[in-house]
Amino acid sequence: MRTKQEYLIRYKDGNLYCELADIWIDPSKPVKKALITHAHFDHFTFGCEEYISTKETAILLKERVGDNIKIKTFEYGEEFKINGINISFHPSGHILGSSQIRFIFAEEKWLISGDFKLQKDQTCKQYEIVKTDYLISECTFGLPIFKWDESNKIANDISKWITNSPEKTSLLFCYSLGKAQRLLNEISQTNFKGNIYSHGSIHKMNDSYRELGIDIKDTIKIENKMKIDELKGSLILLPPSLSKGSYLKNFKNIQTAFASGWMSIRALRKRSGYDKGFAISDHADWDGILEMVKKSEAKNVFFHHGDSEALSKYLVEKESINVLLFG
Amino acid sequence: MSLKKFSELFGDLDSINSTNNKIEVLKNYFLSNDPIDNSWAIYLLTGKSNKRFISGRYLKNLFSQIYEYPQWLIDTCYLKVGDSAEVITLLLKNKTNSRKKKLSNISLNELLSKTIPALSKLNEEEKNLEIKNLWETLPEDNHLIFNKILTGTFRVGVSIGLITKSISKLINIEEEIISHRLMGDFKPSIDSYEFLINKNINLQELNSKPFPFLLANTIEDKIFKNSINDFQFEWKYDGIRMQLIKRSGNVSLWTRGQELVNESFPELVEKMSHIKDDFVLDGELLAWNFKDQIAFDFSLLQKRINRKSPTRSIQIKYPIIFIAYDLLEINGRDIREIKLENRRIELEKYFSKWQIKTENNISDIFKICDLIFPKDWPDALTYKEKSRENNTEGLIIKKKTSIYSSGRKKGIWWKYKVDPMQLDAVLIYAKGGSGRRAGLYTDYSFALWKDKELIKFASAYSGLTNIEIKELDKWIRKNTIEKFGPVRSLKPEMVFEISFEKIQISKRHKSGIAVRFPRITKWRKDKKINDADSLENAYELMKKIS
Repeated sequence: MRTKQEYLIRYKDGNLYCELADIWIDPSKPVKKALITHAHFDHFTFGCEEYISTKETAILLKERVGDNIKIKTFEYGEEFKINGINISFHPSGHILGSSQIRFIFAEEKWLISGDFKLQKDQTCKQYEIVKTDYLISECTFGLPIFKWDESNKIANDISKWITNSPEKTSLLFCYSLGKAQRLLNEISQTNFKGNIYSHGSIHKMNDSYRELGIDIKDTIKIENKMKIDELKGSLILLPPSLSKGSYLKNFKNIQTAFASGWMSIRALRKRSGYDKGFAISDHADWDGILEMVKKSEAKNVFFHHGDSEALSKYLVEKESINVLLFG
Repeated sequence: MSLKKFSELFGDLDSINSTNNKIEVLKNYFLSNDPIDNSWAIYLLTGKSNKRFISGRYLKNLFSQIYEYPQWLIDTCYLKVGDSAEVITLLLKNKTNSRKKKLSNISLNELLSKTIPALSKLNEEEKNLEIKNLWETLPEDNHLIFNKILTGTFRVGVSIGLITKSISKLINIEEEIISHRLMGDFKPSIDSYEFLINKNINLQELNSKPFPFLLANTIEDKIFKNSINDFQFEWKYDGIRMQLIKRSGNVSLWTRGQELVNESFPELVEKMSHIKDDFVLDGELLAWNFKDQIAFDFSLLQKRINRKSPTRSIQIKYPIIFIAYDLLEINGRDIREIKLENRRIELEKYFSKWQIKTENNISDIFKICDLIFPKDWPDALTYKEKSRENNTEGLIIKKKTSIYSSGRKKGIWWKYKVDPMQLDAVLIYAKGGSGRRAGLYTDYSFALWKDKELIKFASAYSGLTNIEIKELDKWIRKNTIEKFGPVRSLKPEMVFEISFEKIQISKRHKSGIAVRFPRITKWRKDKKINDADSLENAYELMKKIS
């Protein structure tokens, strides 16, 4: 067995790093070269000399942080070489443009799952099964208590939640990139036909999705001086950062909800302070992670982003898959 | 169908914060379901059934067995979820969606009156099979309710008061009447529900209704200008203020919070029912030290408050007494409009009659309050200072000519507390302790009202017992709104009596006041946050001291 230093990809200063290519994956501090799996801010940091991502991720990132960054883009499946290593992006199903990244060197395959989900999502490319020898996977929801409902069921629940309180304004908090667009897409297919408003940060992302050819329902951008009456019975999408503090004082007679995988647990739902929780996630649930690991045919698996202890033990005991730990 | 509806009701109640909305949801539920299911719903929601049919551990083991799940994995999940019934519900989601069995649409009544009680008659193997069968045939939405009832952990944020209010709204009858109907051993049945929603009020129910309570105000300086002879002086006991009612032979005990507490104090109800006259008494219920003839600490009384049908040994261990302050009605005659001094004469007259004429001795559970006769105001002050010695909180000063009106009417009743350096405040933040108290939330911040806002006014660490600290720590973890590093902001719900040595103006604090050596002197579980003091009270206190 090789020592940790000899792995093609390893953990360095809390980030995934490929020494042979001198390239980092979603680094949290400025480096020379960074591969970016998707455009969420917790996977991006300013100040890198060069970024490499899919075309969609690049466009979304520039929309969010400005044109001032240097990004090289590749299509899904298109191979490129750095220091003799073959690298390619593959759809991960997390949000528009999100990708897994595969490395091939000396006939050894490595796959970084990125954030991923297997569930259907009409706003981004479906997860692609990629075979590998080594797998580095996220496991945000790596316990069997996490099992997602179909997203159209959640959308119907949301629709019911709004229409059951016609005298109220329904505030639904969700991440402005990805989750919001997926929800809009699903909700537009339900019985709810009232007005939908969205916060500027979400509105902007909706436009970008449309420019990239994704059909997203039109929403009204929420302005500071909206008439309370006209908001009655309608849905407003807001980023979670606005749920605390004075922003809510702009509205009267509201009900609030949070759309997140964590909301499947009652205690977390109660503690969150929202009236209601909708358990919908852009990450894989337990079954999703297991399926992905098995279909990748990886002999060796690493986990990051989440509590991996139970998942690792389960894979070793039940599936005889070799789970390794980063140093 | 109806178990599904009850599951929906549970989901709604669990996700609604507003009391009014909860009442609305309950009302609609009662309107759209069978009387028998409504009856069971009330039974469950009021927590009358917490019987544990099987333990959470058993449930987890069974699941592990049936679905070949490692026990350690279930335990890890439990750490995240904190409730066995919910863990199994979430795990079942993985397991039963591909099942082929026909779904059952069992009613709440059938489940609770037949299916679940039948489990206890089965041997272990049969029982396990039946639970498995139920898991596989119950619609997924109902698993949580089923598992919770099974493990006796069904709980939702609904009080008896809320149920009372919704039924009261549903049939448009006063809450006191519903309260009376909900009292006692509520057996789920069509009859019991029909009785609950009966629009005709019977005489006994009418007879049980208490009068609105008259409350005392904090003392003001101007009172000392009056002649001492204008007032009646009583000790201010620290118990449960109560109206003891006997009409047409039936005794009812009503607290100030409109709660009927007959079931907690059956010995008092029994003894008082022997008195020949009918009456309404205003007084205080206390845990009483008969040997020294003084009140026990309030904490002893607390052992009795929430315990229904206490055993004889509990009754002996925590003996109670009702001390009457006032007589409001006698043999059907409402005497609230006559002067206090004359009501007192009536009270004394009837009390001595009852002592002699009642078959059973009543003086071991009932007496009238002793009066105090200070010579002048300085003498009254001396009495007040001595009140700690007999476990009272100070003096109640009542105008002799006052009638018994309602509410906190100004200028007729006054409370003169022994230690005025005390405020009832609401717990709003907690911080983790260190050393011996590591892992527990032991540093607390308290707030007072300013208009409708709670403003932090003091922090305190000491005063609670270790048992109370543990209990509070548990509550804190369950009721955190937000975490800021080691500090948690809490749901305003708990009221504490805070004592301190000095109070002065401070520009550094948002509250505008600073207190010295603040400490917790009592966990006021009997008080709601609206009963807590305001900043205005604190300023008044400061004025009085200086």
